[in-house]
Amino acid sequence: MGAAFTLMSATPSLAECYADYRAKKDEPFRLHYGVIQIPDDLCSADGAVQYIAERISSEGWILLAVDSLFGSEGLKQRSEDAGQYYLRY
Amino acid sequence: MPASTTSVTKRFLRPFHGTGFVILALGAVVAILVFAAFLLIYNLPDADAFNEHVERLFVENRELTSETELRLLEILAQSGGAFSDTLASYRMVVLVLFAFSAALLIAAAVFLLNTVALGRRVSEVERAGMHVRSLVLRRDEQAVLLNELELELTPAAMETLAVLCEARLDDEVLSGSRLESLISGKDELDCEDAAGATRIKRLRDALGNQIMARLLIKNITKYGYVLDIDKDAIKLN
Repeated sequence: MGAAFTLMSATPSLAECYADYRAKKDEPFRLHYGVIQIPDDLCSADGAVQYIAERISSEGWILLAVDSLFGSEGLKQRSEDAGQYYLRY
Repeated sequence: MPASTTSVTKRFLRPFHGTGFVILALGAVVAILVFAAFLLIYNLPDADAFNEHVERLFVENRELTSETELRLLEILAQSGGAFSDTLASYRMVVLVLFAFSAALLIAAAVFLLNTVALGRRVSEVERAGMHVRSLVLRRDEQAVLLNELELELTPAAMETLAVLCEARLDDEVLSGSRLESLISGKDELDCEDAAGATRIKRLRDALGNQIMARLLIKNITKYGYVLDIDKDAIKLN
């Protein structure tokens, strides 16, 4: 998972911190792409991974990779792809 | 003179001697089949292998993010799972065939060893019962080979046996006087039946003693003599 982990924008300048990620669920095998808001104090590569993994595990999802961290300006372009997982957790 | 079946069988039999070899051979067969079955069970991909593959595709291709694409990936993984179910059923079929082949192999091996042992017993019985399969006269060595048993004869006995053999080949029956005349070279009318009978008696004695000696009292070179019979057959009262 660490190898797949890359950051597109290292440290967002804006106060609001968001991340897009990929997750899976076993039996039945499911995949999803989602967008999630990250608390400001966790807005780093390692912090985001831990935070997301914890949040989505409440419904049995397993984090595969965090694609990027971005500010509120990146929300719109990702909202359609994320669908029902847009800011769900 | 080609080697008789007895000696060939004996040479062929030597490595098969003892039950240790049989158990070893059967054990090897079973071990190989079990090993193959083990490989079969643990080397076929399971459903997870397909899921992991799709998962990797998903992580490595960043542009695969829309709902439809994700559904398609899930379907891909499901069809992989269906395929692995098919493989599992094939694996069962192959394992059943394995069991069959193992049973057949073992049965074949057991029957082969049985047959070989039986052949040996038969050849022993044949020799013990003095069933003559081959009779070779060796004039230069003054010896006769009876079923590979070499028996030494005196020149006179040798001559008698040679004459009897020739008569047998011509399908002739020799009277005592005719035998005597053939050996001594005298006219048949001048020969007595008793002289021929004596020659036959001497030949019988020479052969009989030696055959008995060979079959009963075995001479082991440099060691000595031993009775070549089963221990259980001996009873001392």
